[in-house]
Amino acid sequence: MAKTITIDPVTRLEGHLKINVEVENGTAVNAWATGTLFRGFENILVNRPPEDAQHITQRICGVCPVPHGMAAVMALDSAFGVTAPANARIMRNLVLGANFIQSHILHFYHLSLPDFIDGPNMPPWQPSWGTDKRFDASETDTLIEHYVTALEMTRKAHEMGALFGGRMPHPPTYVVGGFTTTPRPDRIAKFKSYLETDLLPFIRNTYLEDVNLLAEIYPDYFKTGKGPGNLLSFGVFDQDTAGNVKLLRRGRAVNGSKTIRPVNIDLIAEHATYSWSDIGTGARIPANGLTRPRYPKDLAYSWLKAPRYGGAPYETGPLARMWVNGDYTRGISVMDRHVARAQETLKIAEAMLAWVGELDAGGPVYERSSVPSLASSYGLTEAPRGALGHWLSISNGKISRYMIITPTCWNASPRDKNGTLGPIEQALVNTPVENTDEPVEVLRVIHSFDPCLSCAVHVMKPGKGAKILTLSHSHGEAQPQPWRPASVNS
Amino acid sequence: MKVTRRQFLKICGASAAALGISTTDLGLLEKALASQDGPTVIWLQGAGCTGCSESFLNWVSSSGSPPQTAADVLIDSINLVYHPNLMALAGQSAVQMAEEAYGAGGYVLAVEGGVPTKFAGNTCWAWSYNGEDVTFQQAVLDLASRAAGILCVGTCASWGGIAAAPPNPTAVKGVGAITGKGTINIAGCPPHPEWIVWVIAQLMLGKTIALDSYGRPKTLFSRTVHDRCPRHEAEEASAFGQDRRCLEELGCRGPQTRANCPVQLWNNGANWCCDANALCIGCTEPQFPFTQIASPGEGD
Repeated sequence: MAKTITIDPVTRLEGHLKINVEVENGTAVNAWATGTLFRGFENILVNRPPEDAQHITQRICGVCPVPHGMAAVMALDSAFGVTAPANARIMRNLVLGANFIQSHILHFYHLSLPDFIDGPNMPPWQPSWGTDKRFDASETDTLIEHYVTALEMTRKAHEMGALFGGRMPHPPTYVVGGFTTTPRPDRIAKFKSYLETDLLPFIRNTYLEDVNLLAEIYPDYFKTGKGPGNLLSFGVFDQDTAGNVKLLRRGRAVNGSKTIRPVNIDLIAEHATYSWSDIGTGARIPANGLTRPRYPKDLAYSWLKAPRYGGAPYETGPLARMWVNGDYTRGISVMDRHVARAQETLKIAEAMLAWVGELDAGGPVYERSSVPSLASSYGLTEAPRGALGHWLSISNGKISRYMIITPTCWNASPRDKNGTLGPIEQALVNTPVENTDEPVEVLRVIHSFDPCLSCAVHVMKPGKGAKILTLSHSHGEAQPQPWRPASVNS
Repeated sequence: MKVTRRQFLKICGASAAALGISTTDLGLLEKALASQDGPTVIWLQGAGCTGCSESFLNWVSSSGSPPQTAADVLIDSINLVYHPNLMALAGQSAVQMAEEAYGAGGYVLAVEGGVPTKFAGNTCWAWSYNGEDVTFQQAVLDLASRAAGILCVGTCASWGGIAAAPPNPTAVKGVGAITGKGTINIAGCPPHPEWIVWVIAQLMLGKTIALDSYGRPKTLFSRTVHDRCPRHEAEEASAFGQDRRCLEELGCRGPQTRANCPVQLWNNGANWCCDANALCIGCTEPQFPFTQIASPGEGD
């Protein structure tokens, strides 16, 4: 008999996520991902000076603020018609790279590993679910030690980023036309030292080793949590002024193919049939995006909209980037995501060591420009957890429209207008669930995507005439959710 | 296998001692730490971005005496029964931890993120409990009612912050405004980790924290950034990217912003906004993020 289990909150991720999974004969047969927070960033941005975008959008997510700063200044540079000097391009990359390293290490040790190990005997690590914990006592001890070391490493990655970023999280140094910091020789030396003394050795000797150990102990997770098999990367870390050469290239793969296809951003559109949003049953491209919150709404079960490429769902993230770049093509699964993420961390950290050597201590970091009265542009980059796009329109020198599609919009999206499940929803289907009271397998699948829900659900813009229904907080009967679980996991 | 708190202390090479405060406080603090579990803390996240938690995890002692890192604080000092990013449990069993603490009462409630009230609070759910979606607003109201103290970690929890910026699309309010209770407002977007740990240490010592009219600890937020900025008297910068120049004419909000950043520095002394030639954006002020980030007052 099918049983629907609810996990709300899904802990150890950024933001607010609720998951319902229908389990039959020990296997998940259906899944619904619900983003349970929205803040309305678009509406906050409209009528502001365009330069505010980098500061405001970073506050979408404190775990991955820098990619928002990067996407914003890319869109702004384009709109203002200005080219950032090489020093600025490099420092933007270095601070972004520091955020990637910090976020990837945090993700593995602090967000994911507690799904596999029994933590120390105190809150917040205990109590915990005991289901399917396979490491022996000595391995567990070692991994707990590494959990603590990893906290030190995430701190140091932030300290390294702050050398040029000013402070982390939420660095104030990304500006249209460049960067505010000058690459002083003492900062260059310290930056190198963080990489060479702390982070590279930790990534090589600890992080990669621990991921390999996890893969050895849990090999079945190479066969779990595939999802749609479509992979999308906008590419990141421009190596030249024009952005034609990137450390990780732009592209996409269809159904696990090793053939990499180009990305045409005009084929990206958002659906809202199953979202608490009143934009109709069609699809809208982001440059013409529109969102009107409507709550409650028939069929709807998430504040996230469903972005699709050519009508199809795509997974995005480190595995997609490494796949598109030809660096990792073993497979698509929970464990492949962890392995690709760790390998990417090393690739980025090694590249950063070369970039920091390219900084010109006396060279310019900033190019003056002025606000256009009318412009529209976009910035495409990557966050640690996947493809990020900002679409900007300026009118009368102020922001007139701002649309953001985040990685977790792609990964944790609800069903689209055709009823096709989002990537995490698809990845959950066919996942074995040993104990419905402790569905740790479900957490493992979700965590492998490194969801960032705050990133995903704040681009809602109340429109004129939006129908707004007020509910009491006890709204169980008022909410049309035909799939609502009959029983609840404890 | 399970590791006890004391065994874990050994693993980490940490010992229960002071948070870098005077020796007269040491005895009191050691007494507070002598119990197996420190003060119970419930950490909720609402309309925010997790940046405050991220900042807290960056804490490292400036005194050199233990606890030296955020890990030590978690392990030695506080009993963090609920934190969405850190706790092992998920779903209703996680919520049960908050429920149990609520039953016992007397915990510290730390709130990160503002409280949305639009759609009766349904733009932000805290969790599902017994099949019912509980709004963040309701969770804050319930848990505030039996808390020994309420910490607003960051500008959003304190006064609404970013999500409450004009036109405040989801009608976000601060925790004090929602609960009608006094809160200790650890301002900042994000707050400096030292500010968070300093407040926790004062609470553990049973000390009264003097607050300004906005509920911020006076010790941390009494003087303006500009007041103690090394560039206070420097020549004005004419553009970004100029070292050792005052940024006031580019829109720096240091003159109106109360925080100790120029002396505290950020990220273990690595840097701070103005030393990176960037504007102070006024992130510890109740009006943050204003109607525009740069101060309109002095610009040309």
